[in-house]
Amino acid sequence: MTEVEFRDVTRRYAGGVTALNGLNLTVAEGEFLILVGPSGCGKSTALRLLAGLDKPTSGEIRIGGAVVNNLAPGERDIAMVFQNYALYPHMSVYRNLAYGLRQRRTPRAEVDRRVRETAELLQITELLDRKPGQLSGGQRQRVAMGRALVRKPQAFLLDEPLSNLDAKLRNQVRGDLKRLHREVPVTSIYVTHDQVEAMTLGDRLCVMAGGEVQQIGTTDDIYNRPANTFVAAFMGSPPMNLIPGVIRSGLLHVGETEVTAVPSPDGPVTVGVRPEHLQLHPSYTDGMVPARVDFIEPLGSHVLVTAQVEVDGGRVPVIVNAPAGTELASGARIGLALPQERTYFFDAETGDARRTRERVSLGHA
Amino acid sequence: MTTPQLSTLTAEPEAQEPPAPISERRSRLRLPFSPWHLVLIPLSFLLVVPLLWMLVTSLETEGEANRFPPVLIPESPRFENYSEAWAAAPFGHFFLNSVMVTLVVLVSNLIVCSLAGYAFARVRFLGRGALFVTLMATLMVPFQVTMIPVFLIVKWFGDNVWAGLGIDHIGALMLPNLATAFGIFFLRQFFQTVPVELEEAARVDGTSRLGVLFKIVLPLSLPALSTLAALTVLTSWNDFLWPLIVITSHDQMTVPLGLSYFQGAHRVKWPLLMAANVMSLLPMLLVFVGAQRYFVQSVANTGLKG
Amino acid sequence: MPALLDRVGRSETLSGWTLVSPAAVLIGIFGLLPVVMSLVLSFQHSDLLTPETPWVGLDNYRKLAEDPVFVEAIKHTIVYTALFVPGTILVGLFVASAMNRSVRFISVYRTTAYITMAVSTISQGIIFLWLTDRDYGLVNAALNSAGVQSQPFLASPTQALYVIVAMTIWGWTGFSVIVYLAALQGVPAELHEAAAIDGATAFTRFRTITVPLLGPANLFLVVWLTINALQLFDEVYATTRGGPLRATTVIVYYLWDRAFVQFDAGYAAAMAYALFVVILLITAVQFRIARKHAHIS
Repeated sequence: MTEVEFRDVTRRYAGGVTALNGLNLTVAEGEFLILVGPSGCGKSTALRLLAGLDKPTSGEIRIGGAVVNNLAPGERDIAMVFQNYALYPHMSVYRNLAYGLRQRRTPRAEVDRRVRETAELLQITELLDRKPGQLSGGQRQRVAMGRALVRKPQAFLLDEPLSNLDAKLRNQVRGDLKRLHREVPVTSIYVTHDQVEAMTLGDRLCVMAGGEVQQIGTTDDIYNRPANTFVAAFMGSPPMNLIPGVIRSGLLHVGETEVTAVPSPDGPVTVGVRPEHLQLHPSYTDGMVPARVDFIEPLGSHVLVTAQVEVDGGRVPVIVNAPAGTELASGARIGLALPQERTYFFDAETGDARRTRERVSLGHA
Repeated sequence: MTTPQLSTLTAEPEAQEPPAPISERRSRLRLPFSPWHLVLIPLSFLLVVPLLWMLVTSLETEGEANRFPPVLIPESPRFENYSEAWAAAPFGHFFLNSVMVTLVVLVSNLIVCSLAGYAFARVRFLGRGALFVTLMATLMVPFQVTMIPVFLIVKWFGDNVWAGLGIDHIGALMLPNLATAFGIFFLRQFFQTVPVELEEAARVDGTSRLGVLFKIVLPLSLPALSTLAALTVLTSWNDFLWPLIVITSHDQMTVPLGLSYFQGAHRVKWPLLMAANVMSLLPMLLVFVGAQRYFVQSVANTGLKG
Repeated sequence: MPALLDRVGRSETLSGWTLVSPAAVLIGIFGLLPVVMSLVLSFQHSDLLTPETPWVGLDNYRKLAEDPVFVEAIKHTIVYTALFVPGTILVGLFVASAMNRSVRFISVYRTTAYITMAVSTISQGIIFLWLTDRDYGLVNAALNSAGVQSQPFLASPTQALYVIVAMTIWGWTGFSVIVYLAALQGVPAELHEAAAIDGATAFTRFRTITVPLLGPANLFLVVWLTINALQLFDEVYATTRGGPLRATTVIVYYLWDRAFVQFDAGYAAAMAYALFVVILLITAVQFRIARKHAHIS
């Protein structure tokens, strides 16, 4: 039973900085969970607390059901892949892989067998006699993975392991990671700031910001049912458009325009629509949000149109996908139609999603 | 190109609190302070005990000093030891001489080594490589090999150029140290890390080679210059063997030499001797504490590259 | 070849040499010329005062080989070096390890370690003369309270050299600590973390990760300290003046004595050159050993 659990874990530093505030998270056995968020959101802190490299101010951390707060890192039976790999520079790849096993007094024959097995799995057998300084970035990354794998730990911790690789290698290793996890399904906690990595790799994602959990769910949950404006804007590229507006007597108003009837209570709202769901009309008609074209970016398969929308107190830029070949003059007036099922409403003050019931179809005025 | 920076090895810990080190993981003992203080305090004490004892003795009377077991705290601190020591030997001359020698050597080194260091770093001139290697070779030669001939050379200067440069004058202390191969090596190393683009931009704007050095490179090299300055001041001030060889008149002595002379004259008057010692030490101790960062950086850098 | 000195090259060469000339002249006169002069001097008989310096060929070197005082000086120097270098390294490493943490006031603690660097050799000598005074010294007081008899220390032919070893270790601790502290801090924290996760205890981490990575620092210190140990002078002058009964006469002290007290400059020059060659050899050997080690591990 190698479940990993954070129970109300907080980490506060002298001077008042709260890196992590009351984290509650359960990672199921064999699950690949991703902690994702911008720098400073607390994801690395959570990982280090789990590893035992740092002590929580309060709360409990459990591995396999047992509380590990007072256990040294070496006693927790976890393995970690560091962002900079942290390979022992004065030891050969073989000795790097063998180090953890040797510290546990594993017999030599067993050590040799497991090291070679792992090297085979990661295709680094030819590198066993070399030192880290003689390896390329990608090779070093595989050795770092191997060092963690060879220990057959209860949990696998990965701290942005792909961020030091170039784009091409990153894609390749991402695929390798997925395959590896299929073959060796160890409970894994993976930290990244890259939302593409998060969405493609994770069984579940835990989106974090400012030391607090914003939402936990599958990629589908996060993408299609964002819990607040942060999650909505963070995941997806280009990010979801967030347009401030007001609902009065059941009608949505954006700026001075009365747009359409919406089944949501009155009050100030933030309307969220993704660029691929927003519908662009070359001429404005009733029921749409009026906008002025700013510029067009062709991407080959489609174009990204950035337009300015008048709202109370100014203008916001909105990005909308349009078919390839769309030509619009800068400054042209267009209309943006809100889709029936993919328009989200968030509370204008808190940013939280309004109750889902209200996201069902929009009426027309 | 990265901006030039020496290793930031300072004595101060980082401003942001780092995660508690692994070794403190297990301590169930709730002490209000880290247990390491219990090791560090005695250790630090042991390291400075010679200096502390010197200080204590300097405030004792002769009677107290000549007691056994020794008096750990003098009854009433005798500050007159200091004024007496000052009067017993021309300390005023000693300090003045040390200051003058150190100042001249410092300024000379900074200027001459900057010029040369810059030339070696940036100017492609015929024979540059060979000249550099030749000059650096002098670093391998111990002082004992050169001290006898330098004595003769300095004597020659004194007899034929100006007496102030010759034997038994402080000029002779300055002359051989006006430029060091180490200074050139050190500054050249640093100048090479200043982005060439900055100099090129200035040249394009019409600045002369020398102008580039003084207006662009040197202002950016303040850390390195400060480090070299700190080292030069320390070695110059504390230099003993060369002054011993060259100087015999009291009014030309530098502080270390003067102290040694004082020691010879007042051998068993320990409180007096200690007071003289404290006075001699104080300038360099203050300089060191004030410029500690530069000393640490200089040693650390040489150590890691050497 | 003409291409070497084309228009741009020529002005570069001119400015280059102009910038370099003050340093070149100074170092040439006071650094390079003396090396040659010293060699010449070693083949002569000179008393530094009279201009007549008769040529004596290899006589000085021959005398050196048969000089019992010189042989003694060599022995003393070797004993001193063999104790001083490891001593300073061990003390430096120990103190640096203790100070390699970020507790409150650590900058104050570190300053106490560094500060010995600022103390002049004469001051050191005077302080230790007083500390080890047979009748009134603090060290003997401490020994007495532990039940040990008072020792003559610097006044004893058998103990004096060892006291100087201790004294100079203290003096060089600051330097040694700075080097080791820098090296220790150069070991990335991540390596310690990875090793901790791999299950290594603090001591094992020190042994298997930290110490091997201190290689360059070790080499630097061994070489630097050895060179300085072989040139020991100031501290001997400040305390025992080579005594008692020549027990602390080291090579450079003897050299200085012969050159500037006995006015036997030619002989002293020969001694200096011999020392020079030895220093070069020892440094070369140390580097060779280091290179071999780096390849094995």
